[in-house]
Amino acid sequence: MKRKLGALEKVDADLTNLQYKVRRDPSSYYDDHQQQYVQYETQRDLLLQNPSTGDDTGIVRLGDLIDFLAHTADCFPKSNTQFPNDLIQILSQHHDELQPDLRDKIVADLVLLRNKDIIDSTVLLNTLFPILVSTSSKTLRALLFQKIISDLRSSNAKATNHRLNRTIQTVLFNLLTSDRETTKGLWAVKITRELWKRQIWTDAKAVDIMKEACLSDNEKVMSGGTRFFLGGDKEREEAAEEDSDSDEGIDMNKLRHQAGINKKTKKKGRELKKAAATVKRKERKKSAPHPLNFSALHLLHDPQGFAETLFTKHVQNSKSKISLESKLLVLQLVSRLIGLHRLTVISLYSYLLKHLTPRQNSVTTFLAILAQATHSLVPPDVLEPLIQKIANEFVSEASASEVAAAGLNAIREVCARQPLAMNDTLLQDLVMYRKSKDKGVQMAARGLLSLYREVGAELLKKRDRGKDASIALRAGDLSDRRYGLEATGEIEGIDLLEQWKEEERRKKREAAGLPADAGTDEEVEEEDEAADWKNWDVESDDSDSSTGWINVESDGEDIILSDSDDEKDDKDKKPAAKKAKLSSEAPSSTHESTPNPATEPKPLSKLLTTTILTPADLKRLRELQTTSAISSHLPSSRRGATNPSLAARHTDDPITASTIEAAALLGKKSTKEEKIAMAKGDRDTKHSSTTAIRKAKKEAEGKSTTNKEKARKKNFLMTLGKAKGKSKRSLGDVRKALRGHVERGKRGGRRGNIG
Amino acid sequence: MGGASARKKKEKKKDFQKPKLKVGKAKPKAANSTDTSFKAKAIALKQQSLSANAPTVEAQCAHHLGLLNHKSDTQRRDSLAYLTTVISTHPPNVPLPQPSSVIIPTVQRLILDGSNAVRQQLLKLLQSLPKDDVVGHTDQLLLHTRAGMTHLSTDIRLFALDVLEWLLSVAGDDIVSCAGGWVKTLKCFLSLLGWKNDASSKWSSTKSFGKSSTADSKVQVKQMNALTAFLRAGLLPSQSTAGARGGADHFPLWQTEHHILSERSNIYAHLNLFGAARDEEAEMYEDREDRQRVFHDRAEASIVAGLEHVVKGGGEPGRAAAQLRRILKEGMLDYRT
Repeated sequence: MKRKLGALEKVDADLTNLQYKVRRDPSSYYDDHQQQYVQYETQRDLLLQNPSTGDDTGIVRLGDLIDFLAHTADCFPKSNTQFPNDLIQILSQHHDELQPDLRDKIVADLVLLRNKDIIDSTVLLNTLFPILVSTSSKTLRALLFQKIISDLRSSNAKATNHRLNRTIQTVLFNLLTSDRETTKGLWAVKITRELWKRQIWTDAKAVDIMKEACLSDNEKVMSGGTRFFLGGDKEREEAAEEDSDSDEGIDMNKLRHQAGINKKTKKKGRELKKAAATVKRKERKKSAPHPLNFSALHLLHDPQGFAETLFTKHVQNSKSKISLESKLLVLQLVSRLIGLHRLTVISLYSYLLKHLTPRQNSVTTFLAILAQATHSLVPPDVLEPLIQKIANEFVSEASASEVAAAGLNAIREVCARQPLAMNDTLLQDLVMYRKSKDKGVQMAARGLLSLYREVGAELLKKRDRGKDASIALRAGDLSDRRYGLEATGEIEGIDLLEQWKEEERRKKREAAGLPADAGTDEEVEEEDEAADWKNWDVESDDSDSSTGWINVESDGEDIILSDSDDEKDDKDKKPAAKKAKLSSEAPSSTHESTPNPATEPKPLSKLLTTTILTPADLKRLRELQTTSAISSHLPSSRRGATNPSLAARHTDDPITASTIEAAALLGKKSTKEEKIAMAKGDRDTKHSSTTAIRKAKKEAEGKSTTNKEKARKKNFLMTLGKAKGKSKRSLGDVRKALRGHVERGKRGGRRGNIG
Repeated sequence: MGGASARKKKEKKKDFQKPKLKVGKAKPKAANSTDTSFKAKAIALKQQSLSANAPTVEAQCAHHLGLLNHKSDTQRRDSLAYLTTVISTHPPNVPLPQPSSVIIPTVQRLILDGSNAVRQQLLKLLQSLPKDDVVGHTDQLLLHTRAGMTHLSTDIRLFALDVLEWLLSVAGDDIVSCAGGWVKTLKCFLSLLGWKNDASSKWSSTKSFGKSSTADSKVQVKQMNALTAFLRAGLLPSQSTAGARGGADHFPLWQTEHHILSERSNIYAHLNLFGAARDEEAEMYEDREDRQRVFHDRAEASIVAGLEHVVKGGGEPGRAAAQLRRILKEGMLDYRT
């Protein structure tokens, strides 16, 4: 409680005034400052006698004195060097007993001293962090956490302060490793996650801290670490997006225009300058190269060891008493690691085998985990019993349609990653479910069917194979897949690019009046190359008009009545996709020349060995790939669109329970309300006029109506008494009325027709 | 439709009828309302004193000690006055209604009190306390006094000097020999008087913030008088030690007082077994020689220089300064030789 001060006392004990004077002219007020310092020392001694007392001794409070000294500390850098240490000592020894406001003040003043560069960040953080971990006060913890984060941010603002980061990271790491039992480590997790989100820490050391947190014995700390790996990167991306979104909003032109019109004050000028600086900074930020941030999962050292330890420690260990929810988190992380880094943790699959029954809690998550943990290097014989079990437990006529759909979907996801895990009898059985009454089951079975048409048509019955697959099988184009077989190193779709380039060159030669089929001579090649390098940048690539548009060919156009003698030319003009689909050999060689492509090794693309691909080339390549993927599906256009690169998808995005459940949702009938809500979307439901909107806005801003509006609204009967005859009006009123009449005439009526 | 009877229609209607609300009437209860009222057989009143006789003096003293934190100035002053009368009217050989070890720690905070009346009353209370009781609390009292001496408010600064003078008169030896009592207080005086420790003297002395020039000389005189008393206590050989020197009375025994149990409390305080580590300023200087040495090292030069300046000025400050100089010479006489 602060006592009321007498007027005279106020003048005497005015620390704010003294502070102002000291800051203006430090040398003249040195004595006064020293006197206050002595006063502070005695007050401090008094406090240390009994730290829990309030500091309202008399008029001057210790908190005010500390504030004063902290604010003026930079004026006398040589004297009172003991002051910061004093504060640190008081805070670290007595933070539990001190009065809350004094304690908070000391924290704030220490941060102030840090901002004045009187103490350095390491000292500050080394003071605050132990208190954060040990104190029992919630408010103090919140304050300290905020101060620690903001200090780390500000010291990393201009350039990364590697030394400080390393020190703090070591402290956090040691905290986690030294004490695995308690929840103290949660602070390390919180701080690291926050700094990761703000892209202040993006290195392997921060990931190491989180890895250590995952291996903690404490469930809270462990799940904190696991959640980081599962969601930290997404959080970071979202934060970055939000940051860039908030850039908009300052319209420099408008501000400049306003500055020209409105009253010119110093404040307005300053604001304009500030806005200009902000805009400039943002421009610079926008043009700066995008920071290359690796995801936490990629920065891990020894993912195999980590995944194994995680699994054995938290899941397999019969002594670990963690809840199912945390166990699922761990399993998700383990399976994510396995899928991403193609690890081998065989015991995981037998563990999952136990839990794959419809009665298991959150079984869809288990199914998702299984799918995520599958990749092409998992032995098929390990997966086979799992698939068999899913089929037995989930997919049967007797089970509910949602269950069956989920089971089929899970099987499909697993098989997309390891097609060899399926045998033909089971597959043919499962595919029969496409005749099911339930839409979800139907779609899931169809998904499985279309998958195997692509990756293993020979397992299907003949009539199920479809046209493309049957043709390919007959032609012997589909090489049989073997376990562990890797494609020879090449860029996917490079053949499409090569073909496109060839075509372009031919066109150019035709335009130049040269024979289109002439052998490539060096001169032309070089010329081409030069043009390519000019088009290095993607944006400046104006040679194609179809950027962003996918050229979809309709089915009918394929049939070309070739009455021209230049047969080959026509063939080359066919869409690239057709060819790629039908033949797996290099497109430069003709189809007839290689009777058996499987026996002969595929020649490396010439393009790969002779040129360096520019970004423009890569972009073109991606475009061509998409086009080919789409057009290959067109003949049976109503077929459900299967993802062309299923295996590629899974490395980047996690599979969740919702992926597994998606099929079951298809069959569900939505209620009328849901349908209405969906149709409405998030449009405004109520329509109102602009006047009404403006009025509501005005009201929301807390503004009242104008006098005119009030007069218009006034009850007619109330105005009757005030109404005067024209003759009784005062001279001033008459003048006003006359002037109003003249002005109205000029303006053109009551409402006016100008301005 | 036509088949339904009037009675049935009425019954159906009854389910949806609203009870009519009337002004001034209690609201009709809902059909599903639950009675939550309860009855109790005994009423317990808390915090009611049932004693019939008047409170004892001890209880009243405790009550008034509690009131010293009251926010009203007059209440604080009145409580102090009550305590003062109780103590001063108390017969000398009977223990006080509340022991001094309770009174002094609660009272000493008021040295820094904002109200002048409270402070004056406090001084009266302190003076009424028995001398022997004060001795044990000197270091605490001195801490508060020092805080008062460097206070921003001039009134409190002046008052703290009064308290210091009282302390010196009651327990001079303890004041100068308690932890931090010698050096810190000296430092405090130096900063008050503006006599700097460093040799770089300036041509123009800057006017200090928050001091009016007219009251300045008066304050200075008071400060110098207090310093004189302080130095007298610290530098001159005290009567008690002089008495102890003549230990030859008990002829066969020499220096008996060193071998018998001391009467003072906490006699091993100088060893500082339990407190934080002390630096030179906070150290205890129990010996006169020690004090002289430290005084010579840290303060003497600046005091002499400052004195010269004031003596030249003459007037009342000059006279006080002369007095101070005399004590200084006397005290440091045997140090130099």
